[in-house]
Amino acid sequence: MTSGWASTTLEETGTGERTSERVETDETIQLGSPWVTIVWNDPVNLMSYVSYVFRTYFGFPEAEAERLMLQVHNDGRAVVAIGTREEMERHVEAMHDYGLWATLTKADA
Amino acid sequence: MRGFIRESDGHLSAVFEPEEISLLSHLAREAGELVEEWRSGGETPADDPAMLRLLPDAYRDDADAAAEFRRFTADGLAERKAANARTVVASLGAETTAKTTVRLDEPTVQSWLRVLTDIRLVLATRLGIEHDGDTGYTDSDAAILLGDIYDWLGSVQASILDALAEEPGHSAFHA
Repeated sequence: MTSGWASTTLEETGTGERTSERVETDETIQLGSPWVTIVWNDPVNLMSYVSYVFRTYFGFPEAEAERLMLQVHNDGRAVVAIGTREEMERHVEAMHDYGLWATLTKADA
Repeated sequence: MRGFIRESDGHLSAVFEPEEISLLSHLAREAGELVEEWRSGGETPADDPAMLRLLPDAYRDDADAAAEFRRFTADGLAERKAANARTVVASLGAETTAKTTVRLDEPTVQSWLRVLTDIRLVLATRLGIEHDGDTGYTDSDAAILLGDIYDWLGSVQASILDALAEEPGHSAFHA
């Protein structure tokens, strides 16, 4: 899937003030404030399943999928993708397809 | 159950007791019926907490946006969940009195992962499991049985995930 977007963390592009030649950053700046997909902790889904979904759907390497899964587990939530509202809606729908609890919101909200 | 292993052709296979086949088939059917009933009930979000967990709000603090998202996605999501349930039921085969080997190709594995999740999400709301560590109601034999089924479904899913991590053709035998 869109691993370029998905692996771009909020911290890296959140301000939108830096100029960069990377395409995804340029698009973020042009579109103004980006949106994020958040996955929330729930008591039902297996940790191994959440990690599997992050690897297979977002294309995260194993270590990154594991880190995000643990962030969901320990902090109650994790930002797993950043981009346009439409992209985040697609991700959220896909997460609901897997049975994960996901929402989207504006990055600066 | 002899848990899932990955075969040389990439398929996953497991051996289930007849009661397990019957139970899985029954639960997958019920999960499919739950979303089908919801679909035929119109556009309003169900009051059923289980349905709200299967089709959660996509926006936490914006009810209008959440309703809009639901209007455009819920029916498709529910349809896919019902189709996954049918796929799982079909893969289990007919009722039997013998141990049964179930073999799953990749798309069917995807349906299994999702349906096992959906069933467990529904059971969790019925059992009052809301936070990490909750064991759910244990105040009746029925609740205890449901809790055991919930845990067992989790072990089936874990077995699939373990098998998916194996290299095809080099699978260790899982007792």
